[in-house]
Amino acid sequence: MSAALSLPPLADREPVLSVRSMTVEYEASRGGLWSKPSKVQALRDISFDIRPGETLGLVGESGSGKTTIGRAVLRRLDLADGRIFFRGRDITNVRGEELRKLRRHMQLVFQDPYASLNPRMRVLDIVAEPLIVYGIVKNADEARDEIGELMRLVGLPRDAHDRYPHAFSGGQRQRIGIARALALKPELIVADEPVSALDVSVRAQVVNLLQDLQKELGIAYLFIAHDLSVVRHISHRVAILHSGRLVEIADRDALYDNPQHPYTEALLSAVPVPDPRTQRARKRLIYRGDIPDVAHWPSGCHFHARCPLATERCSLQVPLLINKGEDHKVACWHR
Amino acid sequence: MDAISDMPLLEVERLCVEFDTRAGVVHGLRGVDLSIRRGETLAIVGESGSGKSVTAQAVMGLIDVPGRIVSGDIKWKGQSLLTGDGPKRAREIRGKEVSLIFQDPMTSLNPLLTVGAQIAEVLQRHLGMTKTQARTRVLELLEAVGIPAPPRRANQYPHELSGGMRQRIMIAMAIACEPQLLIADEPTTALDVTIQAQVLELIAGLQETLNLSVILITHDLGVVAGLCRRVAVMYAGRIVEMGLADDLFERPSHPYTQGLIRSTPRLDDRMNRLIAIEGSPPSLLSPPVGCSFRARCPIAVERCTEQPPLAVVHPGASAACWRPSVPAWQESPPLEAALT
Repeated sequence: MSAALSLPPLADREPVLSVRSMTVEYEASRGGLWSKPSKVQALRDISFDIRPGETLGLVGESGSGKTTIGRAVLRRLDLADGRIFFRGRDITNVRGEELRKLRRHMQLVFQDPYASLNPRMRVLDIVAEPLIVYGIVKNADEARDEIGELMRLVGLPRDAHDRYPHAFSGGQRQRIGIARALALKPELIVADEPVSALDVSVRAQVVNLLQDLQKELGIAYLFIAHDLSVVRHISHRVAILHSGRLVEIADRDALYDNPQHPYTEALLSAVPVPDPRTQRARKRLIYRGDIPDVAHWPSGCHFHARCPLATERCSLQVPLLINKGEDHKVACWHR
Repeated sequence: MDAISDMPLLEVERLCVEFDTRAGVVHGLRGVDLSIRRGETLAIVGESGSGKSVTAQAVMGLIDVPGRIVSGDIKWKGQSLLTGDGPKRAREIRGKEVSLIFQDPMTSLNPLLTVGAQIAEVLQRHLGMTKTQARTRVLELLEAVGIPAPPRRANQYPHELSGGMRQRIMIAMAIACEPQLLIADEPTTALDVTIQAQVLELIAGLQETLNLSVILITHDLGVVAGLCRRVAVMYAGRIVEMGLADDLFERPSHPYTQGLIRSTPRLDDRMNRLIAIEGSPPSLLSPPVGCSFRARCPIAVERCTEQPPLAVVHPGASAACWRPSVPAWQESPPLEAALT
């Protein structure tokens, strides 16, 4: 293996991606043909950084907006407010040809390895497609060597080239998807639930692969997942999203060992640990009620209806995400 | 409540199930033995295609064309459900004494009926209740599964409820006839983690108050740890290890079980690298001769071409392995190993 990239320590690197006060709105249903469509706020005031070679784990339950963050970062959605910077450059309003060039540097790995590969294309064509689209090669055969190298990198057999996706298992398909994302040597990969469709034993293979690739290539990951155990393994820092707002963001161990936001605590305590004795001894904080729906978010802190600490203030004023410790940001009035 | 009684409620013996597909015959179950007693909790753990759901479907009589039970037997309280007048008895038992919760609460509810009507239907059909009796009981059941404001919720349609609520409705329906055995097939897989914790707590509570036997089918070892006393691990259509949960997690015997536990990331663990079981499960179109895990097993020997029987390894644990309890996976393989 080639020597790992020599990068300065994580904390000293300039962020590859910075998101500042990002707000995203979706159009909801119209009252009638001529009436103005109402809007729902899917994300509100989101800010975070990702540095080169770093993995930011983004955790949230369904409907919290984690996939929307991924799409907004990749500029597949317009922002209602806020800015996105890529390598220091403001890309919030980049469009057309410039956007196309920009997308080379930011790639996506999908959740479902069955739906995200074209069943009629050979693996070679699938992985070569980004290279052809960006005019780096004229046809797939020209890229054979380069793709052979990518195949080796993601641990696929060399003879995989000329086969079709159906010949591969779920884990191998996910490797093909990763090889495709790597083809353009991106600096940032947004991985949206990349391992949740995989079986346990295969999931570990892909998690390890993502970690190895990061070490070798210095890629930054925005790792979107709902599984807190996997996120603990792969992330350097972790951000917790609840109903369209970040409620906590911190270094991995700080967040897992010393969670501050009551929602983070509830989330962590709800994850079952695969060890009966430990699991029986754990204190579970089970808060009643459901996650609020995007169209009917409450005022104030979105968690206040389920929160044991909530006071009147929580139902009126939105707490800001502020530093409560060394690089440990929390949005709560009571912590 | 009364403790676990000695009489097995359900026994599955040497059960084989096959499916005819265009590609050939898929050997879904290849001789599965298990039994569960009154008040006992058993988890069946396995990955996709291991046969865990097929086992549940066979018990529930849901194996239909193109699938068929080829051999073996399913017994309820000692009497066969497959031979003689078994099939007739089975129809009376299923849904009443044995009930099933599916993974996806959205597709298992009828979108055109209110949830109250759907629960009432079960009561009217199996218990012969009148509409008014059923109505009262529905409200009690909704209360029992922790649904707030039952009279209002009973009149709502499935789309008006959240995923967790829908799964509670499914559970209310499953316990409506006071079953003795509840089979839960991945009951929380489609749910968010905080909702999952609520639903698991509910199942555990009902298990205790109703002295239910529960078979929990899951791929998630964490879910097993909190709920079940005994665990059966399935791989490629067979049970490869069976034992008490405490024991099995602490000293797994079969290399597959060892690998499964070590490849599952844990919340309370700082280990930076997971054990990966290389390769993937075999195709059941032409299952390998001998131990099915042989090709992925780091400690396989020549003898593994012969199928090992499920044999007692230590009290309370059995495994189908010629080299049980031999440590199969190294603590932390070097970083480079995975790439070269």
